[in-house]
Amino acid sequence: MAGTAERMAQNQKQVAISEFFEKNKHFLGFDSLVRSLITAVKEAVDNSLDACEEARILPDIRVKVTKIDDKKDIIELQTEDNGPGIPKRSIEKVFGQLLFGSRFHAIRQSRGQQGIGITGVVMYSQLTTGRKTHVRSKIATETSAAVVDIGLDTRKNKATKTNEDREIWELPDGSLKEHGLEITCRMKAKYQRGRQSVYQYLRMTSIVNPHADITFEDPDGEIHHWPRVTERLPRKVESIKPHPHGIHLGTLQRMCTEATDNRMTSFLYKNFSGVSTRAAKELLEAAEIDEKAKPKSMKPEQYRALLEAFMGERLLNGKAVKLLNPPTNCLSPIEELLIKKGLSKTIDSRFVTTMTRSPTVTQGNPFQVEVGLIFGEGMAADKPVEVLRFANRVPLMYQQGGCLLTKAIESVDWRQYGLDQAGGRGVPKGPAAILVHLASTNVQFTSEAKEALADNEEVLDEVRKAMLEMGRGLRKHLEKKKKMAKTQEKFELVNDIIPAIAAKSASILGRPVPDLAGSITKIMGAVIAESETVWNKETKQTDVTITLFNYTSRARAYTLLAAWPEKDGAVMEGNANGGRKEATGVWAWKLDTLEPGQTFVLSYSLSGLEKGDWTDTDVFYRGSQEVIGATKMDEKLLEEIRRQESVLADEDDEAAAEEAEDEDDLEDGEDDVKNTVAEEAAENDDPKPTGQQTLMGYGSDA
Amino acid sequence: MMSASHTPEETKAALHNVVTEMYDKIVKGEPPTMTLPVRTKNNIGFDTKLGVYKYGKKRSIRDATSLGSAKQLLRALHVVEFIEEMIDARKSSTLREMYYISEGWGLGKFSSQNESNNLAEDLEVVTKCMREDFKLRPEEDGARIIGNLTLRELNRRGEWMRINARDDVGDSGYGVPYNVEEEKIELVEHDLNFIMAIETGGMFDRLIENGFDEAYKCGLVHLKGQPARSTRRILKRMSEEWDLPVVVFLDGDPWSFRIFASIAYGAIKTAHISEYLATPTATYLGITADDIEAYDLPNDDLSARDVEALKAELSDPRFADAWWQEQINMMLELGKKAEQQSLAKYGLDFVTDTYLPEKLAELGLA
Ligand SMILES: Nc1ncnc2c1ncn2[C@@H]1O[C@H](COP(=O)(O)OP(=O)(O)OP(=O)(O)O)[C@@H](O)[C@H]1O
Ligand SMILES: [Mg+2]
Repeated sequence: MAGTAERMAQNQKQVAISEFFEKNKHFLGFDSLVRSLITAVKEAVDNSLDACEEARILPDIRVKVTKIDDKKDIIELQTEDNGPGIPKRSIEKVFGQLLFGSRFHAIRQSRGQQGIGITGVVMYSQLTTGRKTHVRSKIATETSAAVVDIGLDTRKNKATKTNEDREIWELPDGSLKEHGLEITCRMKAKYQRGRQSVYQYLRMTSIVNPHADITFEDPDGEIHHWPRVTERLPRKVESIKPHPHGIHLGTLQRMCTEATDNRMTSFLYKNFSGVSTRAAKELLEAAEIDEKAKPKSMKPEQYRALLEAFMGERLLNGKAVKLLNPPTNCLSPIEELLIKKGLSKTIDSRFVTTMTRSPTVTQGNPFQVEVGLIFGEGMAADKPVEVLRFANRVPLMYQQGGCLLTKAIESVDWRQYGLDQAGGRGVPKGPAAILVHLASTNVQFTSEAKEALADNEEVLDEVRKAMLEMGRGLRKHLEKKKKMAKTQEKFELVNDIIPAIAAKSASILGRPVPDLAGSITKIMGAVIAESETVWNKETKQTDVTITLFNYTSRARAYTLLAAWPEKDGAVMEGNANGGRKEATGVWAWKLDTLEPGQTFVLSYSLSGLEKGDWTDTDVFYRGSQEVIGATKMDEKLLEEIRRQESVLADEDDEAAAEEAEDEDDLEDGEDDVKNTVAEEAAENDDPKPTGQQTLMGYGSDA
Repeated sequence: MMSASHTPEETKAALHNVVTEMYDKIVKGEPPTMTLPVRTKNNIGFDTKLGVYKYGKKRSIRDATSLGSAKQLLRALHVVEFIEEMIDARKSSTLREMYYISEGWGLGKFSSQNESNNLAEDLEVVTKCMREDFKLRPEEDGARIIGNLTLRELNRRGEWMRINARDDVGDSGYGVPYNVEEEKIELVEHDLNFIMAIETGGMFDRLIENGFDEAYKCGLVHLKGQPARSTRRILKRMSEEWDLPVVVFLDGDPWSFRIFASIAYGAIKTAHISEYLATPTATYLGITADDIEAYDLPNDDLSARDVEALKAELSDPRFADAWWQEQINMMLELGKKAEQQSLAKYGLDFVTDTYLPEKLAELGLA
């Protein structure tokens, strides 16, 4: 993965910067005037988000694009963040030296993984306008900010500093800036609107960075603001060691020659993930390498043999050496609720469903798929749905058609879920937007332009599964909407129209108004449930009311169940009707017999949520007569959810046990209990929980 | 001559029956209902006594178990009340006015003009009254007539006016009012051999300009597309009271066939009053399907809707006879339709000098 950038850097030593740029501009993202601006914004904003994340700061980002000369396409770009800032002595390196990244060799999920970063922007500005980039940086421990103009000496290929100074950084409101970075540069570029624009890039960025507050001032002076919707910073990502399944010959060679270990066993054990001491021995045995061999003295054919053992191509006792999966805590998914919030803030709609799949592994690389679907008013019904693609929280804006994520969407027959799709193929049409996010330690692109993801069976499969699940949710939603409209009609019928017919007919005939109870029971002939979920501004709680009407001529007995966001940390309060927990996120109330014409009202509040977190409560029932407005409880599904919960809980225990034993592993050197346990768990035939079974998204015939 | 009208008391009693059906159902603890004949081609049959098509025995029950039909019932009640008020106040209103008045009916308000027209018809059908009994007037204006015939009309000042439709009228002819019953119009005398009903204004004016009415001693009636009730009624009266043949000259397309059927056999929507409106002796003169070929007329391809309409006509009892079946099938085969004004291909006089004389000769009228 580092290959391209390394190659670029080496080449760069020989050729002039301008030539280098000219040759590589297509994958540097500077191949058109429109794209150059987007790329510049992207480099700066990605850096701000990364820096804030690392420093655990909630990012406030400001981007301003100004047209300086319309005829010559000269644009000024200014970005500002509230990150940690860059110490004065490092500014020159960050902005004037290629590949001065802090993340470069680490294997973990991060936005910038290769490329030439912000230095490219400095170069591009210099080459197209001859202008230096103005940098203002303030770090918390100093009272004033460092300012400097950074340029590039195109003959010496070196950064140049001018106008170095210090100044007091005052904010518009008169207060002093605590810390942060501001970059101002001028470049030849074009600002445009539409699907590929700075606006769209920032909008997409704000969706997958719900913790960021982003302000954009466009060339017309219009201010676009995407507010922060959560105070929660993304999980801190851990670096991981490479996994044998994802390693290349060159890397293996380099690792061996740079190794400080004395023996191959400890080299394998310590430098790779997924390799226990037992597996290390077995790998060496399969590759016919002496355990005590020194890593530094490996021969070429031994590298190859070891690689074959890694891939399971060299067997030991007729079996491939069993390796553990790499840990997945190096991934930082956005998580369902936050995707929901992110989507809701940029698109106004009624229905949002999101899903974060459990992490899995492809070719030794952990990855995780997240999807979101938003449906409803405010979007065109006769156009293809908007596809929002992201890799490691970075928006992908070009080459939609050739991207794996798009292909996964296209592989689903959306017609069965209520969207239009000619021939059941292609991007579906309808008032919807679909979001797909791939988080991975190693994102594979189709080309160096890094705009489309390359084909990969496992990833495709994961995305597809997530789509199907969401599709089912969408269908349920549409069915429910239809049912609710019907129920609404029935209520209007018996509450308004029938009484009006009775009154008018009585008045025309000059007779008394007749009693309506009989007619109404006949007309409704049903038990009806209504649920209301509203945000209470005063108490900062979500109030839920569930009403059950018995419009039949017989007494009825039910157990009502309601879904609630227990997993998201909600607490149920003021639940005067008691009841009990059926499963995580499912509460049940056994009701007294409901006489004909009787109504029962149940209410409770949810605390620990923010406004908009929970806007609709799904109601289920147990009982013989159908309840309109509620779903009959699928006991098998409930069973499944409970089972998954217990398996997941057990796994957590196992993981904890593993960690605890990690310490004394090395001393021991012998086969350890940890690995045996873990491997047994892996062999266990019990189906692994997917962690994605949900009450609403489940099954077509529920 | 039979009379269509009911006394105010008869009308009110008939309307009260409709209301009573709803009221009694509620008292019995049932959803209120309104029972009415099915008003589609599947429920019209030939009445041998009257010689026209009438509704058959099929009944549909509109009950208040869905929001849509419940609203219909409520609207019907509002209309009944409104009609009673008009009868008592000796007023009348147009259907359009009623539609606007319904704005004040809250839940019983109409959502389209079409809906109010349909409901008025429903009530006619159920009560066997005419909308004149309900004091409801149509918006549609009636036909124009030119020819040597004389009638008397009661004007607004309550005076009988004698009008000759050749000598006392301008180029636009005599305008037929919405009420053409005996209390309003009296047919006095004529010097005619037949009546010709014409679909388009252009053709009507052509025949007048060419002096066709004088030359062939005929009364020309401009139908203005689908003829209004009063137009059909006055055609029937002229045919019966003066014993005159009626020939119908229309475009050659599926919709013209329907216009003819409504004149000769009765319209599906008004089959409850066919005996007042239909002229069973009327003859279809043209444009026929074979005219298109025989006269090599400029034509248009049938649209999908045209074909659908023709196919529906094949199973319409009013077109069950051999001649119509042949015409419809021929048009389907040709896949063509032609307008009456396409005869102008052969010059402005062709229609009066050649086409019509030839067609009338077939009928023995020229
Ligand atoms: N806004 C910022 N605030 C604080 N530090 C920053 C900021 N921007 C850049 N840096 C520092 O400068 C380094 C170099 O940034 P640069 O964009 O050149 O490379 P990168 O982000 O590591 O990788 P990539 O080339 O993919 O962008 C970053 O790794 C970070 O340490
Ligand atoms: Mg960067």
